[in-house]
Amino acid sequence: MIRRIRISGLVALLLFVPGAQLLAQDSAHSTAINSGKPLSERIVSYVIDARVNAQSKALDATETLTYRNLTGSSQDTFPFHLYLNAFQPKSTFMTEVRRDYSSFEWQKKYLASAEIKKLEVVGIGDLTSRVKFIAPDDGNADDRTVFQVKLPRSVAPGESVQFRISFHDQFGEVFARTGYKRDFIMGAQWFPKIGVWWQGAWNCHQFHSTTEFFADFGTFDVRLTVPQNEVVGASGIEVGSVANADGTKTLSFHGEDIHDFAWTIEPQYKVFSETYNGSMGPVSVRLLIQPGHVHQAARHMTILKQALDHFDRWYGPYPYKQITLVDPPHGALQAGGMEYPTLFTADTAWWMPRGVHLLESVIEHEFGHQYWYGMVATNEFEDAWLDEGINSYTECKILDDVLGHDNSATLMWGMHESDDAQQRNYYRDSADKDPMARPGWAYMNGGSYGDITYGKTATVLLTLEKIIGETTLQRALRTYFIRYRFTHPTKEDFLKTLEEVSGQNLRWYFDQAVYGTAVLDYEIAQARSDRLDWYQERPAPAKKASTLYRTTVVVHRKGDFIFPVDVLIKFDNGENIRERWDGRDRWVRYTYDKKAELVSAEIDPESEVRLDRNYFNNSYVVEEDRRASHKITHYYMVLIQFLAQLAAWLT
Amino acid sequence: MMSERSSIILEGAGLVRTRQRILWWIFAVNLILAAGPAMPLSHRIGDVTDHSLAANRLVDGFDLGMFSELLTAPNVNFGRAFPESAATILVFSVFMLFLTGGILASYENEYKLSARDFFASCGAFFWRSVRLLGCFLVVVAPVGYASQAALHWTGRLVNDAAGEKTGYAAGLGFALLALFLLMALRLWFDMAQIRSFVEDERAVRHSLARSFRLTFANFGPLFWLYFRITFVAWVALAMGLWLCTRLSGGAAVFVLEIVLLVWIGSRLWQRASAILWYQRRSLRAQPVAPVASPISEPPHLPPAPVPATE
Repeated sequence: MIRRIRISGLVALLLFVPGAQLLAQDSAHSTAINSGKPLSERIVSYVIDARVNAQSKALDATETLTYRNLTGSSQDTFPFHLYLNAFQPKSTFMTEVRRDYSSFEWQKKYLASAEIKKLEVVGIGDLTSRVKFIAPDDGNADDRTVFQVKLPRSVAPGESVQFRISFHDQFGEVFARTGYKRDFIMGAQWFPKIGVWWQGAWNCHQFHSTTEFFADFGTFDVRLTVPQNEVVGASGIEVGSVANADGTKTLSFHGEDIHDFAWTIEPQYKVFSETYNGSMGPVSVRLLIQPGHVHQAARHMTILKQALDHFDRWYGPYPYKQITLVDPPHGALQAGGMEYPTLFTADTAWWMPRGVHLLESVIEHEFGHQYWYGMVATNEFEDAWLDEGINSYTECKILDDVLGHDNSATLMWGMHESDDAQQRNYYRDSADKDPMARPGWAYMNGGSYGDITYGKTATVLLTLEKIIGETTLQRALRTYFIRYRFTHPTKEDFLKTLEEVSGQNLRWYFDQAVYGTAVLDYEIAQARSDRLDWYQERPAPAKKASTLYRTTVVVHRKGDFIFPVDVLIKFDNGENIRERWDGRDRWVRYTYDKKAELVSAEIDPESEVRLDRNYFNNSYVVEEDRRASHKITHYYMVLIQFLAQLAAWLT
Repeated sequence: MMSERSSIILEGAGLVRTRQRILWWIFAVNLILAAGPAMPLSHRIGDVTDHSLAANRLVDGFDLGMFSELLTAPNVNFGRAFPESAATILVFSVFMLFLTGGILASYENEYKLSARDFFASCGAFFWRSVRLLGCFLVVVAPVGYASQAALHWTGRLVNDAAGEKTGYAAGLGFALLALFLLMALRLWFDMAQIRSFVEDERAVRHSLARSFRLTFANFGPLFWLYFRITFVAWVALAMGLWLCTRLSGGAAVFVLEIVLLVWIGSRLWQRASAILWYQRRSLRAQPVAPVASPISEPPHLPPAPVPATE
């Protein structure tokens, strides 16, 4: 099957793509993966020849798409994404942006478009007139991010169909992920991309302000013609370069077992290359960095190689021959922190302090998407938490290991923060707004989408470590990756893998954490020691180790989320009692009669229940300690004194 | 000339030292007023942290994650402290405005003022201070608007200029320019206050016009005088913040309070030095008395009164 498709792809190249012969020859001798056989079903094969006009920030291209009908049924209607059209004022994307951010103002510089000049189906003919824009999610007639074409005859199961599409792209100034800034162009979501037949239907959503992407695996052979002074980065590997007489050059790229293709050009990029020896073979690590950021090149390379190494050891091998890391220029950070197969963008500035680990966390996170999105290609529209959330969890684990737990987000000026604390604080902001299992565009707003898909999912998985153990969770993620790489697993595939590897029924947890919006919050409602002879008029003076006390600790479940918790009770004779409460009732009371007084009572003493929304009420210490409140109050006082002096300067 | 300016700045510092009761009082009022909004906040924070083991993460070092959690704790509600804090800032500003006359009187006189005289000067000069402040705000407002516009423009430059540092450099340039303008305006109005006080000039507009000519005719030496003192204040702030990152909570707060004391002191130092400068300039400007008879012997002058020191 796969060989047949590759041959048919080559036939398409030879027959229909101008200059494709050269490209086909290049590709025949090159593979973009460290594997002798295909890793995915390779449902699609894209051959694109694009000529980029760096001046007008536009391109004209011809795309030949060979689609294998593995849907199991005859198909005569095929939907395509045309996402550059999202950057138009009446699009669903822009409408949602304005809905969530009332201060957002449309500017003409954002305007972008992708226009189908011609659409032919090989063996059928020109179907340009049959191109019809649809809006399956919201019915917005002004949204032109999805079109479909109905063929006059069906494509039988197992058959292939070839589309030849001529299109023109006009990039806008980068607003989200794609576009230009000065000499820089990020070519993302730039070509007509066919939808995915998934769960018995076409899955081809409009471009929303929060959602990302979903596509089938295949091969990409892309020829980019650009001015000769441009430095180019792209998905896949470069397999050819020809200098043209008109001052341009044509670079050929080949990608295998990927589901999207992105590229970038800018004359100013400085290029750094290193090699990482992964378990499937050497990986060329290519960094395209801004000249003003060269002093941070080592930071970029170090964290990327550390991420490669950790993923390789913990979750599975990186099979591609190259990974390209792109550093967008200043003013184009909206293109930063974004993942594409075998290429991703980072996010930094010339002044980025060493102690602010934003650079490291973005690079680690976006590289992590090579696994959670790139290879385990979940539906980013409908199950964004599966890629963003799992990735945020693995980000926490790897950054903890590399930078130290307490400092994995920040270590500067005596202040520190861990990455998982950041994720937990995102979750806390929106804990009860949306369930994780909700289509990305259906969240209350962009804030809730981010807080839940990234923060809550990471926190849910960190809390899951308490139930099944950290090593079991790591093993489950590895199993999930190995089992579902190069496929489109569902949320249930993931959850069932967790249950299978842990050998536990975790439905009680998933129902609340994944499918629900219940909030987890336990508190020590009461904790005190009372003399047993309290009723006596003249009780004997209290004497350590001889006076009998009744100690009462009441643990209260404030939220609706039921979770078993440990409670550690400490006495002044050094005795510690650890209780375990299933949390099913609203509260539980522990009573002890001892010749010792209570020192403290603490729920979840190891702080493993990361989903607990409020850590401060998890413990009660009998002896008051005002150091924290004094410290913060004093700092606040100093601030007010300082501001008062500044204001008094006017007098 | 250089030695005279150095002498003024040193003598100004000496004046602040010899009249240090003013400095301590202002510092005490600044501290006490700030404690006003801080105390209820302290109680609200204390309700959350004083019996919680989680608060230890704020004591040993500073855990930003826990601090974020504390900030959003409904019981703490930092936002509730803002109106009280704004009121505190306003009250302190009015207090300093009220003290202006007393401060000028203390530094102008060679002898130590009694509390009664000090506050009499405060009261006598208060209305003129208010009017001068009104004029000052009118003059400062365009600088504020211009700074805001510059900030907006440099913000766009940060994204749009070809050079990544261009926007930041422009921002820094505008900030320095704004600081320069503000210091120049402050100098002018300080001179106006001094002139109005020393000459007992009640017409504010007249004082402003005269002091404008005086200030900008002598702008170099005067600005250099103020600049050096301001520089000391900023260096103290930078050093204090640097030290804070290396000290525990209590020690860090102590260092910050010293920095605040230095800031109050530096403002008083500027005022004292400006008065000294004005007095010397007035002495130089006085016309030479006509000679009535041939000088045979220098007249026997009584010794100058010795300034009282604390």
